[in-house]
Amino acid sequence: MQAKTWHRCMVTGLGGLLAIPVVATLLYSLSSEWGATLLPDGLTFGWYVQLWHDPRFLTAFGHSLAICLGTLFLSTVVIVPAVFVTFYRFPGLNRLMNVLILMPFAIPPVVSSVGMLQLYADGPLPLIGTPWVLIGCYFTIVLPFIYRALANSLGGMNLRDLMDAAHLLGATTPRAFLSVILPSLKPGLMASLFLSFSFLLGEFVFANMLVGTRYETLQVYLYNVRQTSGHFTSAVVMSYFLFTLALTWLAARLGKIGSQ
Amino acid sequence: MSFVEISRLAKHYGDNRIFHDIDIQVQQGEWVTLLGPSGCGKSTLLRCIAGLTDVDNGHIRVEGEDITHTAPQKRGIGMVFQSYALFPNMTVAQNIAFGLKMQRCAPEEMKDRVADVIGLVELKGKEAHYPHELSGGQRQRVALARALVVEPRILLLDEPLSALDARIRKHLREQLREIQTRLHLTTIFVTHDQEEAMTLSDRIFVMNHGKIVQQGTAEAVYTQPASEFVARFMGSCNLLDAEQSQRLFGRAIDGHLAIRPEAIRLIRPQQDSSDTLPGIVMRHQLLGNVIRYEVESRGSVLWVDRLNRGADELMPSGMQVQLHVKNEDLREVH
Repeated sequence: MQAKTWHRCMVTGLGGLLAIPVVATLLYSLSSEWGATLLPDGLTFGWYVQLWHDPRFLTAFGHSLAICLGTLFLSTVVIVPAVFVTFYRFPGLNRLMNVLILMPFAIPPVVSSVGMLQLYADGPLPLIGTPWVLIGCYFTIVLPFIYRALANSLGGMNLRDLMDAAHLLGATTPRAFLSVILPSLKPGLMASLFLSFSFLLGEFVFANMLVGTRYETLQVYLYNVRQTSGHFTSAVVMSYFLFTLALTWLAARLGKIGSQ
Repeated sequence: MSFVEISRLAKHYGDNRIFHDIDIQVQQGEWVTLLGPSGCGKSTLLRCIAGLTDVDNGHIRVEGEDITHTAPQKRGIGMVFQSYALFPNMTVAQNIAFGLKMQRCAPEEMKDRVADVIGLVELKGKEAHYPHELSGGQRQRVALARALVVEPRILLLDEPLSALDARIRKHLREQLREIQTRLHLTTIFVTHDQEEAMTLSDRIFVMNHGKIVQQGTAEAVYTQPASEFVARFMGSCNLLDAEQSQRLFGRAIDGHLAIRPEAIRLIRPQQDSSDTLPGIVMRHQLLGNVIRYEVESRGSVLWVDRLNRGADELMPSGMQVQLHVKNEDLREVH
């Protein structure tokens, strides 16, 4: 019983400790003034109203959404068939893919962004400052998440027998893939897409170095307005945080439904 | 002309010869079993018949039509896989209707045919269930129904009973045979279980190292094994070498002498008989309705099976006995 109480105290304490910065930021974003006093002078939604009426914020948010959705669309269109072909036709390539998907983690973002700056600043593909370079770059970042989720789903099913059964029942390979395999991949794919979305929405290093203010994203906007007002930037952070929280919860729900 | 004719079929993976010189003829409505140990090439042969694996040489003909290089979709073959391969995202009814949907069957007809086949495999009430909600036996029946609903010319069964427990397996194999007989469906069955093969088959093709080593009815293959391998693989067998054969039965042979344990009679010593061998019971094993004795005779140990008629007739270890084998039950194998 004592051990249980101790365990509960530890978890609550740790949870509380982790929650402090979030609660403090939330409180700061809701306070009208909070200077030399222990508690804020008053509570207000004013900062949120101001934020959500700021055309620059809305544009940056729109840019972030467009880049994230574009990346996820590209990733789905490219990675899903690639994983399927790897597992179905060339299972030996899976080992190579497992090494390949580690590359984005192996190279620090600052290093790879400098490399990309050199590569895409001019020459045949002058993409620096455009959202396209960011979409391409983000594609490599989400590749491990999506590939692993799909590989786990495919590894858990008897892919060859399912495809063979569908073929013998008259389905072509694309039809068998769309009717039988893809629906089974959906829960894993959706969970990985939501997680990737949350991750990309918070990405700053590549967005700032490759595009900056030429196609301002949410994180770059947050960085640029950091000097205006602490309450205002807290409202930005909390808006982003709640949006990401909702997406993560949705991803967890989808993962749970998928496993059932 | 046979309904299915397989001639000189061969398959290699690089230098690895999977099977070669396979010749099989199957009559319409016949149940034929490919029996052999793991890795003998029987499942690959079945996949080649289905068109799921290419062949290197030879021909496969069904009703005179050469289907060696025909796409699996166009062969008119139904198959039940060892893993069942049920589509996890579809209900029982959707799984069964999949083949009809691919054939662009009219919705009303599809509904009727699915209902008919569900009745045939006794799955009424399970139409809306998903595969993960079914037991192993029920999944196996869905897989069978899915293969049957498209009315295939040939039904291929790739060890469909191996993942089930003994009681369900026995029930399902009776059900399988009954459905096959009722539909007069030409069936090729793959198994490594000799009991399953003997129970179900009209004819058995025993395979080893990619070759058919013997074919015939279950009775013929069991009682007249053509080789030492078949004798060992089809049930239990006493195999005596040339020296043992000479010592026990006075027979000079080149290969081995095969004697089924049930072909040896154990006689109590008081019953006089001139054409018997003296023996001593070493130990016994209870195999359910049969008791297997290990009897030592002239320096060789033989298995002898007797019906289990209760403790009164049990022969204890150390008991002196006499063994009698009919001449026709001694079979020379190589």
